Amino acid sequence: MTEAQNPSTRATADPVLARFARAGAVASATASASADQLLQMAPAALTQTPIRWLRGWWAVAQFGAQMLVLMLSPSSYRRSQHPALYYQLHAASVPILPGFVAMSALLSLVIIRIVVATAQSYGLSQYALDVLVRTLVLELLPLLVALYVALRFTMPAGEAVAELREQGQLQALWRAGGDPARDVLLPRVLGGVFSVVLLAALSAIMALVMTYVTLYGFTNWGFASYTRDVGQVFNPAATVILCMKAFFFSLVVAILPLAPDPRHEGASLQRRDEISQLGRLFALILLIEVLSLVGNYY
Amino acid sequence: MSLPPDSPPPIPNLELKARLLLLVMVVLVAGAIGYLMYARGAFERTQEVVLIADDSEGISVGMNMTFSGFAIGRVGRIELSPEGNARIIVNVPHKDAHWLRESSVFTMESGLVGGTKIRAFTGVLTDPPLPDGAERKVLRGDAAAEIPRMIASVRELVNNLGALTGPEAPLNLSLANLQRTAEKLNGPQGAIGVLLGNDADAKRLSLALERSNALLARLDGLVLKADGIAARTDGIIAHADEQVFGAKGLMPETRATVVQLNGLLAETRNSLKKVDAVLVEAQAIGANTREATTDLGALRAEVEASLRKVEHLVNEVNRKWPFARDAQIKLP
Repeated sequence: MTEAQNPSTRATADPVLARFARAGAVASATASASADQLLQMAPAALTQTPIRWLRGWWAVAQFGAQMLVLMLSPSSYRRSQHPALYYQLHAASVPILPGFVAMSALLSLVIIRIVVATAQSYGLSQYALDVLVRTLVLELLPLLVALYVALRFTMPAGEAVAELREQGQLQALWRAGGDPARDVLLPRVLGGVFSVVLLAALSAIMALVMTYVTLYGFTNWGFASYTRDVGQVFNPAATVILCMKAFFFSLVVAILPLAPDPRHEGASLQRRDEISQLGRLFALILLIEVLSLVGNYY
Repeated sequence: MSLPPDSPPPIPNLELKARLLLLVMVVLVAGAIGYLMYARGAFERTQEVVLIADDSEGISVGMNMTFSGFAIGRVGRIELSPEGNARIIVNVPHKDAHWLRESSVFTMESGLVGGTKIRAFTGVLTDPPLPDGAERKVLRGDAAAEIPRMIASVRELVNNLGALTGPEAPLNLSLANLQRTAEKLNGPQGAIGVLLGNDADAKRLSLALERSNALLARLDGLVLKADGIAARTDGIIAHADEQVFGAKGLMPETRATVVQLNGLLAETRNSLKKVDAVLVEAQAIGANTREATTDLGALRAEVEASLRKVEHLVNEVNRKWPFARDAQIKLP
């Protein structure tokens, strides 16, 4: 590109020449780029793609397993670990809490009003509660929480970790006798898991309270029947599926953005990579959601 | 350990805030679990009611049993009995069990919209309470199942209606007859003609009516005569009244007679007093007579003695008299 830049600086006096010069530079750059692409389009690279895809997921699975083991080992919760853990717990939940509470309350209120009004207009208000608990508490809010935490906490954290990797600081920590997985990655993973569980519980309880208030107003006479109806929706199978879904959502959201991507092998993440990572995350969350729906309704 | 090189700026009271967050999460999750357990009835003491149904379709574990629209129990288990019936075990909390009595009736209804509903009805709330584990047959009402039966009934009804309204149907004939009857009613014979059917009878009835009229006229005459007789009887009665109760009637005379009788009775009383005096005198005479009778005894004795003496004397004269009969002494 240095050859192309020189004529352009020289020809700035004449706009016409400058225009031609820029066009020539663009053309030569395009030609060199397409030549590079053609060089890269070797048959070997094409056959490598599924293998790289598999390797990528394998690395993610390995990283996930490593994090799970670290989560379950008591040595990860030593007193010396506490400051990092506390910092990440705080960073994962407190900054995003007000925004999430406002958003989930607004969304819940809109959906509750829509469902209640629709059910009343069809004379089926006795089924409104059932529909609301199933759609909001069991399905929508956990999904919303997972995406919100991923976008607001774990993906930025993953970017920061990738930068640390790129700068070699994790290697330096390793050489200095520390454990990067335990000291740097695990607190972020735990922060993500904690944040998902906390926000899911909070939003579910808020939605239940708002549903009650919308249906019965600020009175307590409907509490018994409301509780009974909620209890009917939360049968053992639905409760277990909800708990498992929340748990797997939190794992996916916390682990996937922090996992190393073998395609880059230390290179910093670009915007396109972030979008593809979000796509992968969304695909996994959707898969869990579909599995939970299958478990609930089939 | 040393914090990573990108260690964040310190946050005041970080540990406290983090612990608080953990506490909030634990409270939220524990509260949610506790509420759900309460909502599922985990803390209620319950008793069982076993409902026997021939079909458990639409019944699911956890569904409500209602009484007067209030949920008082929930289905805990569904089994298949050895007889092939469905056994629906309903858990009823002790605090609501008093609504169920020995005479309670249980129904299972499935409407067109919504799920199956189990309902309990108790007519007599003073009956003895339903014991734990009681088995009851459940009555099944199924709106969807009723539809084919209803359609069959409606079809039958429509067929019957068709048969009723057909050209040869009894209803049609009846209507035709009714029309003819109405025409007759409006005819010269009127309702009588309708009632009797043929003209001859109608005429006979008219004749009978005329005769009845004549009879009534005669009866009128008779009644008039009877009136005359009654008037005459009235006169007789008045005359009798005068005879009996008039100034010279029977009654004043009777009264005078009674007065005379009274006088007579007084006189009789006087006479009787005199008779009493006579009787007293007669008693005295009697007493005298008794005395005289006593004297008479003595006199008689004297007379008898004199007579014996006379007899003796006569006997003496006879013996001494020459022409006397032979005196014989007969010895016994």
